Amino acid sequence: MQWFDALVQGILLGGMYAQYALGMALMFGVMRIVNISHGDLVILLSLIGISMATAWGLAPVSVLIILVPLAVLMGWLLQKLVLNRVVGSDPLPSLIATFGLSIALQNLMLQIWSANSRSLPGHGIESQSIEIAGIYVGVLPLIVLAVATGLTWGLDLVLKHTRFGRALRAASADVEAASMTGINPRAVYALATAVAVGILGFAAVFQSLRSTVAPADGPAQLIYAFEAVIIGGMGAVWGAFLGSMVLGIAQAIGFRIDPGFGVLAGHLVFLFVLATRPQGLFGKATT
Amino acid sequence: MSAVTYAATDLPGVQVQRQTSSGRIAMTLALAGIVAVAAMPWWASTGTIRSILILCCYIAVAQMWNLLAGYAGLVSVGQQAFMGAAGYALFVMAQTFGINPFLAVFLSLLVPAVLAVPLYLLLHRLDGPYFSIGTWVVAEVFRLVCSNLPIVNAGAGMSLRVMKDYSAFERNVAMSLLCAFMLLLTVGGSYWLLRSRYGLALIAMRDNPVAAASQGVNVAKLRFLIYVASAVGCGLAGAIYFMAQLRITPGSAFDPMWANVAIFIVMVGGIGSIEGVLIGALIFFIADRWFGAYGATYFVVLGLMTLLVALYARTGIWGLISKRWDAPWFPIRRKLVDPNRP
Amino acid sequence: MTAVLSTHGLIARYGDFQALYGVDTELHPGEAVALIGANGAGKSTFLRSIMGLLPVAKEMVRLDGEPVGGTATDRMVQKGIAIVPEGRRLFTGMSVEDNLRVAIDQAARIGAKGGWTLARLHKLFPILAEKARSQVQSLSGGQQQMVAIGRALLCQPRVLLCDEISLGLAPKVIREIYAALPEIRAAGTAMIVVEQDVGLAQSASDRLYCMLEGRVTLTGKSGDVTREQIGKAYFGAGHAVV
Repeated sequence: MQWFDALVQGILLGGMYAQYALGMALMFGVMRIVNISHGDLVILLSLIGISMATAWGLAPVSVLIILVPLAVLMGWLLQKLVLNRVVGSDPLPSLIATFGLSIALQNLMLQIWSANSRSLPGHGIESQSIEIAGIYVGVLPLIVLAVATGLTWGLDLVLKHTRFGRALRAASADVEAASMTGINPRAVYALATAVAVGILGFAAVFQSLRSTVAPADGPAQLIYAFEAVIIGGMGAVWGAFLGSMVLGIAQAIGFRIDPGFGVLAGHLVFLFVLATRPQGLFGKATT
Repeated sequence: MSAVTYAATDLPGVQVQRQTSSGRIAMTLALAGIVAVAAMPWWASTGTIRSILILCCYIAVAQMWNLLAGYAGLVSVGQQAFMGAAGYALFVMAQTFGINPFLAVFLSLLVPAVLAVPLYLLLHRLDGPYFSIGTWVVAEVFRLVCSNLPIVNAGAGMSLRVMKDYSAFERNVAMSLLCAFMLLLTVGGSYWLLRSRYGLALIAMRDNPVAAASQGVNVAKLRFLIYVASAVGCGLAGAIYFMAQLRITPGSAFDPMWANVAIFIVMVGGIGSIEGVLIGALIFFIADRWFGAYGATYFVVLGLMTLLVALYARTGIWGLISKRWDAPWFPIRRKLVDPNRP
Repeated sequence: MTAVLSTHGLIARYGDFQALYGVDTELHPGEAVALIGANGAGKSTFLRSIMGLLPVAKEMVRLDGEPVGGTATDRMVQKGIAIVPEGRRLFTGMSVEDNLRVAIDQAARIGAKGGWTLARLHKLFPILAEKARSQVQSLSGGQQQMVAIGRALLCQPRVLLCDEISLGLAPKVIREIYAALPEIRAAGTAMIVVEQDVGLAQSASDRLYCMLEGRVTLTGKSGDVTREQIGKAYFGAGHAVV
């Protein structure tokens, strides 16, 4: 029963990680870029949300309604001002640029909000739980998982059935050929990053409701997103979602074995997948 | 020594010139610098020795990152894994098993070397930027493992109490000699490597890995060797740094700060050149002394500078200098000259 | 009659390597021009320079008399030039229909009108209707080439550039594909066809240009030029004509 409980908690935790991983999978798929400040953006958005909620007494839903458009705008600006200048076959410039941005953001947040941990007041929702099959399950983690599933499903539909989705898939497959059909790669990139960071707006609200956030927490979120994407299999959005579940389960089970072992168990599962199935658990082998 | 004559055939007697006057001056200064570092106990205070030791560690770690990112195209943000691994190995050998600490410094290098082999085989499966995050995960794994491992005193860390058996002067002599050796190994070793027959292959690989592979450069093997060599170089810096600190904890041993330091130094100084590393290390060392007290603001500026260099000046300061003046300190080019035609 | 597309002393380089040395060409509305030459003569480079895939000076390429050299590729497509690239360059991992839809989407976005629809394309290449849901990488070479041509046509071009569309295909398939060209021209689209097979090039074009080492060495009406002239222009004056 204890292990079944760990499994359930792991899946719920995976719902949180999926919200980080989707954007990373999307950006890597289309631009071959990893934004090292990915996790720092979650923290920045969280802290902005917490400050707004405290100052104006906003409910989490209102914070979400403000944060997501703000995140979309931040993603669009990030692409226009930084990433469009460093996208290309050489991974070095984009890594260095976003690495520098990450250091700057972390320390800027440290100055504005200090090193303290904060969380978003949830007005009771964070402590509610319901009993399912003898296990107590938190209402908030269930909402997080539902939102993550909805986001993954929605993103998958957008990629499959919309003009933007087709243009994005075309640019991922062969960016030069895409431009030969009239696609402006930079416009597609800007939209892709806007969507990727926009999803982090959801992640920010839920992260700061579920637990606490502090300016130095970003890198850990980046690493979890990365592990989820690699475990699941690169490219596909459902791969990132399922990879997040596996990572969440690994951490939850590891935590039951020994509280100091939780995060490490996730890392070890990642290394194990990399050693035995480098294309990811749900990815297709490339030739 | 620096010029080889090809005059056996009836071709004009062309010489391959590999040294320049700027290079000779720089080489003399560099050797004088290494001697000065080795002789620190006779001219510097203990405080100065500590500062210069840190500068030497910056140079060594940055040059190892430069070899990885600037030549092998492997952008690592997790070299602190090897610094911490060697540091811990030193502490365990010297403190727990009573091996002479100055011998243990060298023995501890086996640990990063042995770890780097399987790690590279794992990480090289990751595509481009994912490789970088992978190296970071490895450093995190090392940190978490050390935090849970009783033999290294878990999260509480270890102290190198055996150093009390040596006088302050003896310790200063040892640290100074180790620093000189570290510079010789990392900077001198890189220079030797770049001037050797591997040098041309490395430079070809830096400029265009695909073309280099088509010209017979074994890119995969060269990358592997550079990764292992860089692990050993970082390990040496780690062992010396933590020996001077006398204390090691999982947090300090695997501190991502070292990745910041290496990236800032190399990118601002100038990637793909030894000169750039020396310039960048000096700038960072001075900036750290002057502005380090500003804490977060200082790091915001460092981060933004790294960002701006990546966006607008990818060759860094040395790139801007060498565009204007052709006077390399560490020439690695081969230049054909005809002695009959001045 | 003014040329719809023309090049003026077109020079292109890949880094230090110069690939084109002042190429002058023109293409009139509704015309089909063949571009022949040996491997490495600069034919693909020529097409890539026109499409804005290589940096060239503005004055070197004109569309309807307006200088457009070096314009971004997607802007060139909007101006009415489409290319069937060398090696087809289809979007792998996407279905035939989605590959074509990408072009339809973009044409719709900019409001380009040229009369090419999915239905009309299916009439030209019926197999594309049958394979609409298949992934492009599962198609045969000839079928993939049809998708590439269809994708270019759905950009609604006034000028279509075809880069070695017969490469690696069986003779029967080549005939099938070349049989479609007259119908494309009938719609009023002008064409530049890069082709290694000289006979095929002559039969499919009104005029031809022959390139050698980045320069035009021969130009004339496709029906008028002799095999000897072509041989000389193709291999250079120093070579014996077989």
